[in-house]
Amino acid sequence: MPLELHEETANLVGVVTVDEVEQLTGWLRTARRPKVSLRRCNHLHTGALQALLLFKPKISSAPNDAFLATQVLPLLTGSSGPANKQGSDPP
Amino acid sequence: MTSDTPTRARVLVVDDAATVRMYHNSLLGEAGFEVSEAANGLEAVEAALGTPFDLYVVDVNMPKMNGYACVEALRSETVGTAAPIVMISTEDRPGDADRAYRAGANLYLVKPVAGDRLVRVATMLTADRSWAAEKDVAA
Amino acid sequence: MNPLLAQFLAEANDLLAQVDEGLLQLERVPGDPELVNEVFRAAHTFKGSSGLFDFPELTRLTHAAEDLLDQVRSGRLALDSGMTDDLLAAFDLIRGWLAHVTTHERLPASAGTDAAGLITRLRAPLGGEAVTAVATTATSTATIDVAPEWLAWLDAEWLTETAGWLATTSSTMRFVRYFPDSDCFFRAEDPLHLVRQVPALERLGVVQPRVWPGPDDYDEYVCLLSFILATRASLGELEYLFRYVPDQVQIVELDSDAITRHLSGEPPLQVEAAVTAAVMPMIDSDLAADARALLHAAQSSLAVDDVVAGDTRLRSVVHAVASAARALGVPVNLTGADRATLLAEIDRLLGAAAPAPAGVAEDLSTAVAAPVPAAAVADAPGRADDPGGQVGTRVLKVDQEKVDRLMELVGELNVAKNGLTFLADAAEEEFGSRVLSRRIKDQYAGMHRIAEELQAAVMDVRMLPLSVAFGRFPRLVRDLSRRLGKTIELVTEGEDTMADKDVIEALGDPLVHLVRNSLDHGIEPSDERIAAGKPPAARLTLAAVADGDAVIVEVSDDGRGVDPERVKRKAYEKGLISEEELETLSESDAVNLVFRAGFSTADQVSDLSGRGVGMDAVRASVEKLGGSVTMRSKLGQGTFTRLRLPLSMAVTQVMVVSVAGQRFGIPVDLVVETVRVPAGEMGRVLHQDVVMMRGEVVPVIDLARALDMPWAPTPGEDRRILVVSVNSQRIGLLVEQFHREVDVILKPMEGLLAYADEFSGTALLGDGLVLLVLNMKEVLGLAARVA
Repeated sequence: MPLELHEETANLVGVVTVDEVEQLTGWLRTARRPKVSLRRCNHLHTGALQALLLFKPKISSAPNDAFLATQVLPLLTGSSGPANKQGSDPP
Repeated sequence: MTSDTPTRARVLVVDDAATVRMYHNSLLGEAGFEVSEAANGLEAVEAALGTPFDLYVVDVNMPKMNGYACVEALRSETVGTAAPIVMISTEDRPGDADRAYRAGANLYLVKPVAGDRLVRVATMLTADRSWAAEKDVAA
Repeated sequence: MNPLLAQFLAEANDLLAQVDEGLLQLERVPGDPELVNEVFRAAHTFKGSSGLFDFPELTRLTHAAEDLLDQVRSGRLALDSGMTDDLLAAFDLIRGWLAHVTTHERLPASAGTDAAGLITRLRAPLGGEAVTAVATTATSTATIDVAPEWLAWLDAEWLTETAGWLATTSSTMRFVRYFPDSDCFFRAEDPLHLVRQVPALERLGVVQPRVWPGPDDYDEYVCLLSFILATRASLGELEYLFRYVPDQVQIVELDSDAITRHLSGEPPLQVEAAVTAAVMPMIDSDLAADARALLHAAQSSLAVDDVVAGDTRLRSVVHAVASAARALGVPVNLTGADRATLLAEIDRLLGAAAPAPAGVAEDLSTAVAAPVPAAAVADAPGRADDPGGQVGTRVLKVDQEKVDRLMELVGELNVAKNGLTFLADAAEEEFGSRVLSRRIKDQYAGMHRIAEELQAAVMDVRMLPLSVAFGRFPRLVRDLSRRLGKTIELVTEGEDTMADKDVIEALGDPLVHLVRNSLDHGIEPSDERIAAGKPPAARLTLAAVADGDAVIVEVSDDGRGVDPERVKRKAYEKGLISEEELETLSESDAVNLVFRAGFSTADQVSDLSGRGVGMDAVRASVEKLGGSVTMRSKLGQGTFTRLRLPLSMAVTQVMVVSVAGQRFGIPVDLVVETVRVPAGEMGRVLHQDVVMMRGEVVPVIDLARALDMPWAPTPGEDRRILVVSVNSQRIGLLVEQFHREVDVILKPMEGLLAYADEFSGTALLGDGLVLLVLNMKEVLGLAARVA
């Protein structure tokens, strides 16, 4: 199972596909102080990334996957990634 | 008319690269075609003389007899087939397509051809196989 | 592994060999159009097939090689040795990649960087890197683009740094803006997945909506993100990667200046929009697009003047147009149509079939495409019963492992068959039934015949031509001779001679060693040759010839030869021969001293022949194959080394003997005879047991003592002696008992016994016992030490 959802914590495991996006979003909506571990996550569907960006759960552990760790994690932990800017038009 | 004939359409895949043959064979085979293979133009002509095919998929660059010569031979009196011929080439040079059409091909595609496209084109060209009947009339 | 990839790898192997051989021949016969064409074709096929897989670097590298060869082929470029080196290097790199693909099913991560330099070198003679001229980017290729506004999404600090670096290396970088459609998730697109596949990704920016919807209004299936990325991947790679979403991406190629301009806020030099990856709207259904392609093709066909009614070409065009019309949902009857009618009809159809709004076209495609395959799909799986059969080559390519497995089974069959003889003995001895024993033996005879034929058939499958073993030498000799500054012509003869694949494989190392030795020590530099009155180019010959059930391989050169006196002196200095031998050894025996362990004639050890491994290693590995090696040499004229190997080594006939109740096998080809000698006739000469046989004194070795086994002959009983011939010397082995001869499949020693040199392998016997097969040379050595 790519999603292991508990009351306040979730583990994303392996490849999170579009099929998991709805469940993950639902969980993020309801969990009070969501914490997400990406340690065993190999890939996130864009929809899942988008949900994480919107609901900003605490990321409890960094992904082992190199791409996620270097390119995606900075966006989620708020440690200002190089281009983690908001807005639909270029400034 | 033979449009809904129960037999599967027969395709001859002509390519010197065994990998490409296997690829085309599996694509078309899975799509329900009865596929035979030939490794060069000469083999293709020989095969066509034995049993006519409903479609020929011919590579351009081959040893012994290249694709253009092969298509010309298929259209010539020796074989005399009016079956559709699709030429597939790695080259995308100006003039190549015209050369293919002059030789008698009906479509010229450039490699790698997406699998679904090949199947689509093959299906389209073999949907109605009345050209076979027409040939009988002509002959 | 997916069978297509497996097929590709198998084919690639052949192609690589073809290219290597072709290039080397080309160097000798420059400009031979047949050869050039052959190599070009191989490279071309390579490129074509590689395109079926996701190996962009492989396709690019083979493409560069192909382009260079195409120029050579057309006579616009003369192939020089530098180009040959680059081409060989390119295909060597590919060989390495494919080894990686074999195990990992993808190219090594370093492929892009490894290929870059070579591609530049290959393209240099053609006037530099060809611009990736893809139709959709025709405008962008020649010039550097203007920095688009969206570059601002990447942080200025990094851009400054990058601009500096690009200036230093005078290179460019590709920037991509990927703006996925909001409903792309429904089309099973995953933009982030596409982004992570971007090769050589330098920087990624994720653009989030300025205002997010509230958690309750948020629709998780609407894509709100877009991406800005910087990469060193080529335009072609990017266009290929994003080929399904061309309308959602913009790609620009920027150099240092363009970025600096952007950073300083200067207006771009050009005013035109910087969108380079052309927007190719995909509102048309694929089917309609294909149908239109067919119609356009038909137009081209009809442009040819000599298309006349009744012609097969015209009829095929009629058919193609009708097919396209059906696919577009507007069937037409074109029976008997002439050229003019057809052209008019095509115009009408093309007008009607102008790219339709996506929805309509999709409806069309389902409506038209559905009925056709329906009938076909019903019996699709049954291709195996296809009576049409394969038209192509009838040569079957079989995985080596399968042949090995077949051989193993033949071995097991032999073992089971041999079991019958034990059973026959038991029937007679234990159950007293001669009749049953007789019948079992008859049955055995029948099985034996079939097993032998089966074995012969499998052995035949395993036979490979010697050209496989010789194949690597043109390259090796070329490379080494260049390094050594010697001019050498390699001649191979008898490459068609066949031998078992195991023999061919095992022959590789000894041959390499002999050839290197020749290059290194035997063949003189050109000036020395000229001084000696020889042609400046040396000649190295590899020849193979079949001789009964053996194959003879000869390595000969016309170099300086071996100096027997020097060899003797050296052997004496090293304590390999006695002073007496120093005086008496004939010249030909002296030359063969080089095969003795611990001998090396080279005054300086070069890195080519390897250190410390001498000709004794060659001898050892050849003898391990059950073969022999001899050398002849004429000082100043050359050296001639002859390897004699069994044609096959899969099945060995052994004679079974026992001492102290333990059975041992001895290869039958060594056995001369078995004799029983009355104890009293055994003699003793200088501490050595001997027996007189037909006037010849034959030394007798006590096998039990040599192997340190507790057994001594019963006094007064006849001695059983197995006479063997080793190094053309007759030696008797004192054993406890003789048994029968059996065919066995020898397996190499494993585990603890792997280092026990006195055994050459093990074999399973019919009664389930494991037989140790003796390595007679080592056993004799042991015996000498024990004595």
